[in-house]
Amino acid sequence: MSTKVLEEIKKAILTYNREGAASWARKAVKEKISPIEALDAMTVAIRQVGDGFGKGELWLPDLVGAAAAMTAAMPIIEEEIKRVGAKRESVGTVVIGTVCGDIHTIGKTMVATMLTADGFAVNDLGINVTAESFVKGITENKADILAMSALMTTTAPEQRKVIENLKKESLRDKVKIMVGGGAITQDFADSIGADGYDPTAPGAVKLARRLVGK
Amino acid sequence: MAGKGFTRNFRPLQILSEEEVEAIHRATLEVLWVTGVRMEHEMALKLLEKNGCSVDYDEMRVRIPQGLVEDCLRTTPSSFHAQTRDHKNSLMIGGNTLCLAVAPGTQTVDMDTWEPRPATRKENYDGVTVLDALPTVHFFSPYTPYFGFESVPPCMAMLESLAARIRNSTKFQCVGFSNDSELFAIKMAQTVGIEILGTCAIAPPLSFYRDAVESAFRFVEAGLPMRIIGGQVMGGTAPATIAGGIVTNNAEVIAGLVLVQLIRPGTRVLIKDFSASVNMRSGAPAFGGIEICLHNAASNQIFQKYGVPLDDTTAYPNAKMPDYQSSYEKAFRVFTAGLSGANTLLYHGSVHGELTHHPIQAILDDDSASMVERFMGGIAVSDETLAVDLINEVGPIPGHFLDKEHTRKWWKLEQFMPKAADRLTYPEWMNTGKKTCLDYARERMEEILAIHKPTPLTPSQEEDVERILEEARNYYKERGLITEEEMVTYRASMKSPNYPYE
Repeated sequence: MSTKVLEEIKKAILTYNREGAASWARKAVKEKISPIEALDAMTVAIRQVGDGFGKGELWLPDLVGAAAAMTAAMPIIEEEIKRVGAKRESVGTVVIGTVCGDIHTIGKTMVATMLTADGFAVNDLGINVTAESFVKGITENKADILAMSALMTTTAPEQRKVIENLKKESLRDKVKIMVGGGAITQDFADSIGADGYDPTAPGAVKLARRLVGK
Repeated sequence: MAGKGFTRNFRPLQILSEEEVEAIHRATLEVLWVTGVRMEHEMALKLLEKNGCSVDYDEMRVRIPQGLVEDCLRTTPSSFHAQTRDHKNSLMIGGNTLCLAVAPGTQTVDMDTWEPRPATRKENYDGVTVLDALPTVHFFSPYTPYFGFESVPPCMAMLESLAARIRNSTKFQCVGFSNDSELFAIKMAQTVGIEILGTCAIAPPLSFYRDAVESAFRFVEAGLPMRIIGGQVMGGTAPATIAGGIVTNNAEVIAGLVLVQLIRPGTRVLIKDFSASVNMRSGAPAFGGIEICLHNAASNQIFQKYGVPLDDTTAYPNAKMPDYQSSYEKAFRVFTAGLSGANTLLYHGSVHGELTHHPIQAILDDDSASMVERFMGGIAVSDETLAVDLINEVGPIPGHFLDKEHTRKWWKLEQFMPKAADRLTYPEWMNTGKKTCLDYARERMEEILAIHKPTPLTPSQEEDVERILEEARNYYKERGLITEEEMVTYRASMKSPNYPYE
């Protein structure tokens, strides 16, 4: 039975079925299937979608659709992980968001999805995220990496503000910072003291691995 | 002619049937009433409620009834005059006229590698000079040619860009808004005695951020004309279908139009159908897509019916340099605008999306724009052009037309002569170094920069512009948007040899 439930969770993600993913995740909990195994099944599915996207066989609506299905199931599995006190293995923990004043979501979601597919534990704070919320997110999730997106020249300076806030809170040395988005360049990333920049989602995954030394 | 736009002498393309136009109109009204738009501005919500809208203050949602939409469409002028400091460059926007403007870029490109890099202050000012000289550039859009330039803090980019354009061109100017920049832009325009086209940019789907609404109040209360910009990306912030995209875009821009008409009835409005599809590989807008032409052609038809001037999606190519791809991506756009009755199009100089701009591209675009101007002029049909007597007189071979007075009179009126395109024969081309249109465009740029002298501001106007810039610098410094360090670099850049009025 456990194999069937895990297969159904995978299938739901691969068919972009949010309700299905959540409902099979609840079923997994009900049937006391290891939440770590359920999480692994989800990761396998999202990796398959990520690979398909990388090969040019799948497109952005597929990637985002699969990510949405996974996001629908994730809180159910995470709660169960906490309840049973299981240890979640991940390459590293990432807090990601688009900075305050900026509501662009697609690039940030692509990076979040591909990091998840690569085995990172990703906490997506969404769009229009204030410097204070980033600080809170990093502390609460004990993040290894902070990933920030800004699409506009007018919102790019907000990334500097977040980094300044982290310095004030004595958190700057505890987290690696990567930045991206249409308005960002390597020079800008260097000037605000970020640890890394990459213009593409697959590049961002490689960068994240490098930043956590894996 | 510079400043006056291109006149279309034929009926515009009707890409939709009357029933389809009506279906889109009804769908728009349904969205505006059933879902409405989110407008994060209490004063705007109160104004809309007072005029018959249903308002949910908790959700900041306004639902607009059909009657109000139709009243506001009626109070919007079908065309309008835009005043510049040199009357010959003043514009009449609307009707059967297409005015072209500059398409901006965040950065410039390196002429050898075609890679993007920030523009210098001098390149920005030179860019404006070239655009001032090009006859098919009828006005300037916000932050053109560049979004900013080296050493200018981001919060000052909009205003430094406007100052450069006011100083180096007498053409009509359009401005955006960012961190209250519109307050200083309005002041700058008033002090120089010009009108500027304000901007209210929507955040699709169906949302207006506070800044956009606030700036609309400021521009409209100053008595200025307004550009209301959609900005949807089909498949991302709008349905993937073109018809669905048109409906959401219509609902968004009409909500903006209703707002400005209620702030001040009769306000001059230019609606911008700024639509593109999502590039489903990168997530970026696919600005070079042909589907944009379909969207724009339909919107042009719909807004002709509404009697409100329309600006098409900015002609941004996906190409990275002026090449074959860039040429066809841009040509389809300007040609569609001309055929289907757009009133304005941001066209000149964009190299790749919103990211890069170059004057050489603008010079090439001046050529293709002139071709569209010629096409829009249509075909003159009269006894003289039908030339029946002449045809009968010349007869079969060995007769010919080359030595005829009729030919000498008419060929220059009928043919368009490009300024940058290569039209040499093979032997001529090989003997003159196999030059391409890019080489000719570069030569024309150098020539313009050597001989074109834009009409300067008077010394007192110049003083006023600089004083307002300084006010803005202090305003942003006090608000922490310019750091001490940035201010040092910024001030140093003003003293460099590139500073335009040393």
